[in-house]
Amino acid sequence: MAFRFGVPIRRLARAAGALALALAAAAAGAQGVTVFAAASLTNAFEEIAQAYRAQGGSPVKFSFAASSTLAKQIESGASADIFAAADEQWMDYLAGRKLIEPATRSSRLGNTLVLITPASGRRPVDIKPGFDLAGMIGNGKLVTGDPAHVPVGRYAQQALTKLGVWDAVAPKIARTDNVRAALLLVERGEAPFGIVYGTDAAASGKVDVAGAFPADSHPPVSYPFAIVAKRNRPEVKRFFEFLYGPEAQAAYRRAGFSFR
Amino acid sequence: MDPGSAAAVAAPAVADARQSAPMLEVAVRKQLGSFRLDAAFRTDSHGLTALFGRSGAGKTSIVAAIAGLLRPDEGRIVADGEVLYDPERGIDVPAERRRIGYIFQDARLFPHLSVADNLRYGWKRAPAGDRPISFDAIVDLLGIGHLLERRPRRLSGGEKQRVAIGRALLAQPRMLLMDEPLASLDAERKSEILPYVERLRDELRILIVYVSHAVEEVVRLANTVVLVDDGRVVAQGTPESLSHRLDLRPLLGRFEAGAVVDARVAAHDDARQITRLEFGGQTLILPRLDLAPGARLRVRIRSRDVILAVERPTALSAQNVLSGWIAEIAREEGPYAEVKVDFGAGAILARITNDSVNRLALVPGKAVYAVIKSVAIDGHAVSAAPLDLD
Amino acid sequence: MLTDAELQALWLTFKVSARGVLFALPFAIACAWLLARRRFPGKTLFDGVVHLPLVMPPVVVGYLLLVLFGVKGLLGQPLNDWFGIRLVFTAAGASLAIAVTTFPLMVRAIRLSIEAIDVGLEDAARTLGARPLDRFLTITLPLMLPGVLAGAVMAFSAGLGEFGAVITFVSNIPGETQTLPLAIYTATQTPGGEGAAARLALLSIALALAGLILSEHLARHLKRMLGH
Repeated sequence: MAFRFGVPIRRLARAAGALALALAAAAAGAQGVTVFAAASLTNAFEEIAQAYRAQGGSPVKFSFAASSTLAKQIESGASADIFAAADEQWMDYLAGRKLIEPATRSSRLGNTLVLITPASGRRPVDIKPGFDLAGMIGNGKLVTGDPAHVPVGRYAQQALTKLGVWDAVAPKIARTDNVRAALLLVERGEAPFGIVYGTDAAASGKVDVAGAFPADSHPPVSYPFAIVAKRNRPEVKRFFEFLYGPEAQAAYRRAGFSFR
Repeated sequence: MDPGSAAAVAAPAVADARQSAPMLEVAVRKQLGSFRLDAAFRTDSHGLTALFGRSGAGKTSIVAAIAGLLRPDEGRIVADGEVLYDPERGIDVPAERRRIGYIFQDARLFPHLSVADNLRYGWKRAPAGDRPISFDAIVDLLGIGHLLERRPRRLSGGEKQRVAIGRALLAQPRMLLMDEPLASLDAERKSEILPYVERLRDELRILIVYVSHAVEEVVRLANTVVLVDDGRVVAQGTPESLSHRLDLRPLLGRFEAGAVVDARVAAHDDARQITRLEFGGQTLILPRLDLAPGARLRVRIRSRDVILAVERPTALSAQNVLSGWIAEIAREEGPYAEVKVDFGAGAILARITNDSVNRLALVPGKAVYAVIKSVAIDGHAVSAAPLDLD
Repeated sequence: MLTDAELQALWLTFKVSARGVLFALPFAIACAWLLARRRFPGKTLFDGVVHLPLVMPPVVVGYLLLVLFGVKGLLGQPLNDWFGIRLVFTAAGASLAIAVTTFPLMVRAIRLSIEAIDVGLEDAARTLGARPLDRFLTITLPLMLPGVLAGAVMAFSAGLGEFGAVITFVSNIPGETQTLPLAIYTATQTPGGEGAAARLALLSIALALAGLILSEHLARHLKRMLGH
């Protein structure tokens, strides 16, 4: 065996080669999947990822925030594999910039839009055109996502406009940067009213649903999923399919989403 | 500093303000790290009491305790009949209520106030209606009228100290503490300030405790000297009496050792340009002094400037040949010896070699002559002596 | 150049930051003085707590404010029940968020300036008959003024940019709590809002720079006036 500085060369070279191969395999294989998802999907997705792991699937990392925030981050090059938005507009935003794999885009989840109050036994509100929401809010605030960019806020604005009460209510709106922050403020009793998704209200034990917005008052709440451009590795595709699989569907229904 | 100036007119008014003779009684014990302070002294009348000793002897700690800026472990401090500190009776008057003026070595004028506002700082906090020391009188006394609108950073060292003195006085203190006020000044500034301290002593008649490690200052200013060494009071007495104690010489400074003599101007001789001084029945001749006949003054005669003779020498240039006897001889380990020559009502010291002591067979009691050059008598130490104390 | 909404955000930001700093100032001076001049048990812990907002994520600070000062909070409940004061969704709440997050900056600057004051001056004041509060007002406070001012202006500048704590505690209400950072954030998230975002961001930078320069200038000027 050839020695150099007292070290067996060929044996070292073989060991180094084996190590390199193993690392490459690891890199290519179980790298983990990164999912950027709308805040309202938090509970359901975490449950689904646990089930996936239990079945032997790769670890999944999540970043939950407003769809607007996430879309902007992906646009700036954030390292996401899958994007799950809470409205079509933000998916359109990325699609228009060729930042998603168009063939993978589909929307099968739906949600309801509800008016909530702190859990204090307030009586239900009849949501119909012209209802005096502004009067009910009084000197307080109505909390929801920022209508300028957060999906839940957009839906809220559309619904309130359709019902003819937007102009009266708009000055009383407190904007948060995602739906879960709005939920938190109503849970803590800071505001008499909030507008969030039905699934959020169901997940929280500290708010009451005063009423649901009629489905025709706003565009259907739709959750488009897509794989981010150039990210369709086998393990990403596997988890993406799992997101529409039977275990996932059960999780969605448990949370209160509708599934097509 | 003209005795006929406005200040002299103001002085009697200020002097009247000092009603009774204040008394100061100090006993301080404190452990400061590895240094133990255990000093006690009292002074029964106003006038200037000097705390004299080496750096680090504990002098500043003692005055800080008197002022209330340092709390002793044990002791007792009484000023002017009022108990300021007595832990056994649970008394510890806070510094701000002791009414003791303090002049720091670094003046400590408030940089954000003008000289006038600095001066008035203590004045505003003294009880209204009981402010015998007036602003104008002090400004005149210290000659700081032209500085009133200035900021402290535009004053020289000597000007700062004068303002500091004025500020302390205008707080209507019952006594003054001066902590090495001249230490950070050069010789010229020192001689500029010393007369002002003398005026405080003589015209305001306010009790002053004056900390210094400089012999010239102490000789010139002190009525009483408290000698401090290693945290303890080693001796207390007038400068004259202490200067004669051979056992204290190590503490009084080897090279500056000498006798302090309390003398009086007898006469001047303008033709010969000399002045005759009288002390204890002896006569000293000096180059012409600018003092009025009858003026009292203190003179320091360095022991190394004194020659001894067992026979009266003649035809010498030295003007002074004093006749007395040997009171005491202190032989040192090296070649030197210090000899105290007594004249009955006065004494001086002579520093000669042990060899000469042997050669001349000097013993206590022996009659000798002390020869002193007139020019050797320390001109800087010539000053108006402190006035008689009541 | 700027739209009405943007001008509104600018003016609101000024007011909210200034009020927050002014509110926090006496507390900051007190804490700085304690840390600079006093020894007491638990001083290190106290120092740590004072500096917490500097090292905690701003959103966490906002959340803690919510827990403490919300209507169900430890301090918020009595404030609401006894005085009718609510802080969430209000400009006052935004001021509080800014006061808390910039507090450590103020304390640091003021503490440094107190420590720079010669204690000997306070001793001198004592011998002239000044009692503790008197000394503080006539000697310590004037001499630490440069530091106080520098700290306040720096905190004001930092407050102009505070985002996480404000949006979490008081949310985003134009005219009420939508400060410049919140407006910039909204603009960046809104499609087509890049232009507005860029304008506002530049404005923000200019204001922050101006604040820092002013703070330096003031401090130096005051120092000279006070004889340093």
